[in-house]
Amino acid sequence: MTVHAFLLLAAALFALGLFGALTKRNTVIVLICIELMLNAVNLNLVAFSKFGVNPAITGQIFSLFSITVAAAEAAVGLAILIALYRNKATVQVEDMNEMKG
Amino acid sequence: MTQIAWIIPFFPLMTFLLCFIFQKREWHHLCSRVGIMTTGLALIGSITVLIGQMIFGNSEAVISWLSIGDTVFSIGYIVNPLNALMLVIVSLVSFLVHIYSKGYMAGEERLGTFYAYLGFFTFAMLALVLSPNLLQLYMFWELVGLGSFLLIGFYFHKAEARAAAKKAFLMTRVGDVGLLIGMILVFWQVGSLEFSAIFQAVSGGDMDSGMVTLVALLIFIGAVGKSGQFPLHSWLPDAMEGPTPVSALIHAATMVAAGVYLVATLFPLFEASDTAMLVVAITGAFTAIFAACIAIVQTDIKRVLAYSTVSQLGYMMLALGSAGYVAGVFHLTTHAFFKALLFLAAGSVIHAAHTQLIGEMGGLWKRMKGTGWLFLIGTLAIAGMPLFSGFFSKEEVLLAVWKEEHYVLFTLGLITAFLTAFYMFRLFFLVFMSKKIIPYKRRKKIFESPRVMILPMVVLALLAVGAGYIHTGWFGPFLGEWLASGNEYITLHPHEGAGWLMAVTTLLTFLGIWMAYLMYQKEKLDRNYLSEAFPGVYEAVLNGFFVDVLYQRTVVFATKCLGIVGTWVERYVIQGILHFIEDITILVTKLASKLQNGQVQTYGAMVGVGLVVLLLIGLMQGRFF
Amino acid sequence: MGWLTLLVFSPIVGIVLLLLVPSTQAKLQKRIAVICSILPLIMSIIVYQQFHSGADLSIRVPWISFGQYPFSFFVEYELGVSGFSLVLLLLTAVLMIVSMVTATMQIKKGWKQYALLTLLLEIGILGVFASQNLILFFIFFELTLVPMFLLIGKWGGMEKERAAYSYLLYNGIGSAILLIVIIVLFANVGSTNYEAIANASLSTELSMGLLISLLIAFGVKLPIVPLHTWMVRVHVQAPPALVMIHAGVLLKIGAYGLMQFGIGFFPASFQDIAPVVAILGLVNLLYGACIAFVQKELRSLFAYSSISHMGIVLLGIAAMNEAGLQGAMFQTISHGLIAALVFFLIGVVKEKTETTYITRLGGLSRTMPLTAGVLLAVGLASLGLPGMSGFVSEFMTFLGIFESMPVIAAIGTIGIILTAAYILRAVMDITFGKEVLAQQGIADLQGKEWIPVSIMLGLILLIGVFPTSLTHSIQTSVEAIVLRIGG
Repeated sequence: MTVHAFLLLAAALFALGLFGALTKRNTVIVLICIELMLNAVNLNLVAFSKFGVNPAITGQIFSLFSITVAAAEAAVGLAILIALYRNKATVQVEDMNEMKG
Repeated sequence: MTQIAWIIPFFPLMTFLLCFIFQKREWHHLCSRVGIMTTGLALIGSITVLIGQMIFGNSEAVISWLSIGDTVFSIGYIVNPLNALMLVIVSLVSFLVHIYSKGYMAGEERLGTFYAYLGFFTFAMLALVLSPNLLQLYMFWELVGLGSFLLIGFYFHKAEARAAAKKAFLMTRVGDVGLLIGMILVFWQVGSLEFSAIFQAVSGGDMDSGMVTLVALLIFIGAVGKSGQFPLHSWLPDAMEGPTPVSALIHAATMVAAGVYLVATLFPLFEASDTAMLVVAITGAFTAIFAACIAIVQTDIKRVLAYSTVSQLGYMMLALGSAGYVAGVFHLTTHAFFKALLFLAAGSVIHAAHTQLIGEMGGLWKRMKGTGWLFLIGTLAIAGMPLFSGFFSKEEVLLAVWKEEHYVLFTLGLITAFLTAFYMFRLFFLVFMSKKIIPYKRRKKIFESPRVMILPMVVLALLAVGAGYIHTGWFGPFLGEWLASGNEYITLHPHEGAGWLMAVTTLLTFLGIWMAYLMYQKEKLDRNYLSEAFPGVYEAVLNGFFVDVLYQRTVVFATKCLGIVGTWVERYVIQGILHFIEDITILVTKLASKLQNGQVQTYGAMVGVGLVVLLLIGLMQGRFF
Repeated sequence: MGWLTLLVFSPIVGIVLLLLVPSTQAKLQKRIAVICSILPLIMSIIVYQQFHSGADLSIRVPWISFGQYPFSFFVEYELGVSGFSLVLLLLTAVLMIVSMVTATMQIKKGWKQYALLTLLLEIGILGVFASQNLILFFIFFELTLVPMFLLIGKWGGMEKERAAYSYLLYNGIGSAILLIVIIVLFANVGSTNYEAIANASLSTELSMGLLISLLIAFGVKLPIVPLHTWMVRVHVQAPPALVMIHAGVLLKIGAYGLMQFGIGFFPASFQDIAPVVAILGLVNLLYGACIAFVQKELRSLFAYSSISHMGIVLLGIAAMNEAGLQGAMFQTISHGLIAALVFFLIGVVKEKTETTYITRLGGLSRTMPLTAGVLLAVGLASLGLPGMSGFVSEFMTFLGIFESMPVIAAIGTIGIILTAAYILRAVMDITFGKEVLAQQGIADLQGKEWIPVSIMLGLILLIGVFPTSLTHSIQTSVEAIVLRIGG
C-alpha cells in the first residue's frame, strides 16, 4: 500500500463532501457532508503519520482530536438546526437567506 | 526735497480709509473736509517735489516687493521732469475737483463713499505716476481702472451707469492684457522691469528690433485701452454716466491721459521702432478725426466733451508718434486744464439746468454769467484761439507732425483742428447763446452755481489761459528744455516756430468758429442740411459709427455662444460619458450583488472556485509567492 | 513626539471634549468646537516659527515591518514640512477655524456629529500635508474621504446623496490609482519615503506611466477638465461651511500632490509632458471661464470659477521654472482664501434670502450693503486686481509660462479677460442689479459674521500687498523643486 491510495480515497471523499455541502437542499445532509470532508482530512492525517517524511504518532493523535471537535461541531450544528426548525418549520437551506446583502 | 515723493500718494489713501470707515450721514461734512485737506497736502507735496526736481534733479528709491529666485521686483518712486509735472497736474486737478464736489454733490446720500472713491482714485493715480518700473505702473494702472469703475458706477441704480462701469472695466482690461504681455516679454528680454534697465537694453541694442516693435505695440494696446483710442474708445463716452466732477478728474485730465503718459514714459522704447511709432501716430490721427466727427452731432453736453477728449488724446498720441515728445506732454498738460475746466463748467450747467441734453438748454448766458465766461475761456482754449494755451500746444503738435513729414496725418490734424473749433462753438452757442428760450417756469429755477464750485473753475481758467506760455516760440521753450534735461534718452528738437503754420491754424480756428456762429447763432446756414441729405451717414455718426453694435454682435455674442456651447458640452458630452461609465459600474455591481444572495452554499462555491483559480495560477507560475 | 505630531493630532482634543459633552448642550458644544479648532492654529504657528528659525522638525519612527530577508519592507512614521506644505498647514488651520465659526451659525441639525466629523477631516488634511511617507500620506488621504462623504451626505442640499456618492466614486477611483502607484513604487524602490523615491532611478517608461497615473489621480482632486463634474456637484450641494474647507484646502491636495510627487519624483518625465499639462491648464482656464459666464446659480458659477483658477495652477506647474512654480503655489494659497470667502458669503446670502440664483438676488447693495461690498471686493480679488492676492499669482504664473511656452501663455491671457467678464457680470447683477430682492428686514453682516470676513479678507490683502510674507516660505520649496528639474 502506498500513500497514494489513501490520498486518492481522501480526495474522493473530500470532493463528495464538498459537492454535497454546496448543493444539497437539506441542512441535515449538508452537515453530514461536512462530516464527510472532515473525515477525509482525518484520513490524510493518519496516512501521513504512517507514510509521511517523518512518521510519528502525532498525526494520529491529532486526528483523534479532530474527530472530537467534529463531534462537538455536529452537536452544535444540529442544536442550531433544531432551534431554526422550531422557528421556521423548515430545514431547507434556501429558506435561510436572511444574511442577504 | 524730492525724497518726500513717496508720501504723496498716502494722503489721498487716508481719505479713502477715513471716509470709508466714517461713511455715515452725520460724518458727511467731515468727509469733504478730509478729502480737500489730504489732496491739498498732496498738492503741496507735489509742488515741493516739482521745485525740488528743478533744483536738485532726478531721484529714485526702491524697496524689494517680490522676489522670484534671484530676480527682485521692487516698488518705490522715481522723480523726473515728466512725472513731477504729472504729479502736479494730478494733484491739482484732484484738489480742485474735491472742492468742486463739495458743492456739486451736496445732499448726496452716499457722499462718504464718493469721497472715499475719489481718494482711492487719486491715490492710485499718484502712485502710478511715481512708478519707477513697469510692474508698479501696471498694478496702479489696474487700480486707477478700479477707481474709474467704481466712480462711473456710482449711481448704480441707473442701469446705464452699471453697464457703462462694466464696459469701461472690461474694455480697458483688454488693453491691460496687452500691456501685461508686453511687460512680461520685456522682462524675459531685459531681465528687469525698471525703466532705466529697459532703456539701457534698448539703446544698447540688447533687444532685437522685431522684439522691440512687438513689445512697443503690445504696450501701446494698453495705452489704447486706457486713453480711449480707436478701436477701444467706446467706453469713454459711456463713462459719462458717472458724476460730472469724476468725468473732469478721471475721464478728462488724469486717468485717460495715463495712456499718453505711458507712451511718453517709455518713449525711448517706442522711438527705437519705426513701425511702432508709425502705428502710434496713425492711431492717434485717426482717433482724433474720427472722434471729432462724432462729436459734431452728439446731443448730450457731456458726450460732446467726451468725444472731444478722445479726439484730443488722439492728438497727443499723434504728437508722440511723430517723435514730438515735448509736444505730446505739452498738449497733455494744457488739455488737462482746459478740459477739466470745460467739464466742471458743464457740470455747473447740468447742476443748474437739471438736464444734460443740449436741446433742452439755450440762452443760459443771462442766468449764469460766471459759468458762461468760464466755459467760453475753456472753449477758446480747446479751439486753439491765439494767446490761449491750446493754441500753443496744438501748434507744437502739428509742427512735430510736419517735421516728421507725415503729410497725410498732418492734414488730418488740421481738419481736426477745424472740426474742434466748430463743434466746441456749436456746443457753446447752443447752450449759452441760442435764442431758443427755455420755458419761463424752468428758467426761473436756474441759478448760478455756488462759489465753492466757481472758485476751482477760476483757477483752472487761469491755467487754461496761462499754461501755454511755458513753451512758446516767443518766450522760449522752457518746458521742452526742462523735460529733456531730466531724461538722457530724449533728444530735443530745436524749436522753430513756423509762422505760416500759426497763420493756418488760426485761420482754421476762426473758420470753425465762424461756421458755428452762422449755423447755430444766426441760423443763416441750415444746420439740418447735411443730416437730411444723408440720413444713413448721420445715423452712423450719431451712433459712433456703430462700433458698439459691432462689439455687441461679435465679441460679446461669441463669448455667450462659447459659454452656451460649453454648457452643452458639459451637460451632454462630459456628463454623458460619465453617466455611461456610471451605468457600466452599476451594471457590474448589480451582477456581482446577485452572487450575494445570502446562501452559504453559493458563498462556499465561490470560495472553492477562487481557491482553484489561485491554485491554478500558482501551479502555472511555478511558485505561490 | 515633535511639534508636527502634536499639530496633526491636535484636533483629537476637540473630538474627546465634544464626546464628553451631552448632545443636548448645543451652546457649550459650539464653544468647545470653535475654541478647540484654534488649537491646530496655535500649533501650526509654533511649527512655522520653528521652521523659520531653522529647527529640524522631521520625525522618523519605525512603524510597520513585514516580510523576511530578501523581501523585507519597512514603513516608517515620518512627518516633515517643506515651505509649501507649511503654508498649506497654516491655511488649513485658519480655514478650519473660519469654517467652524460659520458652521455654528449655519448648521442647524446634528451639530455634534458635524463638528466631530469636521475635526476628523482636519486630522486627515493636516496629516496629508505633513507626512513624508507615501503610505502615511495615503492613510491620511483616505481619512479625508470618509468624513467628507458623510458630511456631504447628511448636511447637503436637495441632491445630497447623489453628490456624496459621486464624490466618493471619483475620489475612490483617484485614490485607487494613487494606491497602485504607491504599491509599484514600493515594490521598485523598497521604501515609500519621499526622498528615497525621489532619489531612486526608475526606467523612463515606468516613471512616465506612474506620472500619468499620478496626473489622473490628482487630476480628479484638482480637478482637471473633464474629471470635474463631481466637484461642481459637491460645490452646489454641500453646506457652504463645508465647501469653504473643500474649495479652500481639500482641492489643494491635488495641486500639492502634483508638485510634491509629480515634479518631485519624476522631474525628467514631467518635462516631457509639460506641454500636455499646459494645454490641460489652458482648457481648464478657458473652459471654466466660458461656462461660468452663462451660469445662473452662484454656487455653480464659483465652482466653474474654481476650475478656471486651477487652470492657472496647472499652467504655473507646466512652466517648470521658478516664476511659474512660485505662481502656482501662490495661486493655490490665494485661491484657497478667495474661494473660502466667496462660499462664506454665499452661505450668508443663502441663509438670509433663501436663494442663490443671480436673477433673484438683484439689488443686494440696497438690502445688504456690507455683504455686497465684501462680495465685490472678493470678486475683484478673484479677477486678479493688484493689491489682492490673485494678481501676484497670476503675474508670476504668466511670467513663468511666457518663458517656456509663449503661445499657450498668449492664449491663456484671454482667460484674464473672460474672468473679469464673468465675475463682473455676476457680482454686478447681484449687488447693483435690478432690485428684485424686495424683502425687508434682511440683516446685513453682523457680529460673529465679521470674524471670517475680516480674517480672510485681511489675509487676501496681506499677501496681495506684501507678497514676500508668503513667498519667503514657499521659496524654499520652489528652490528644491527647481534644483531637481535642473533649471
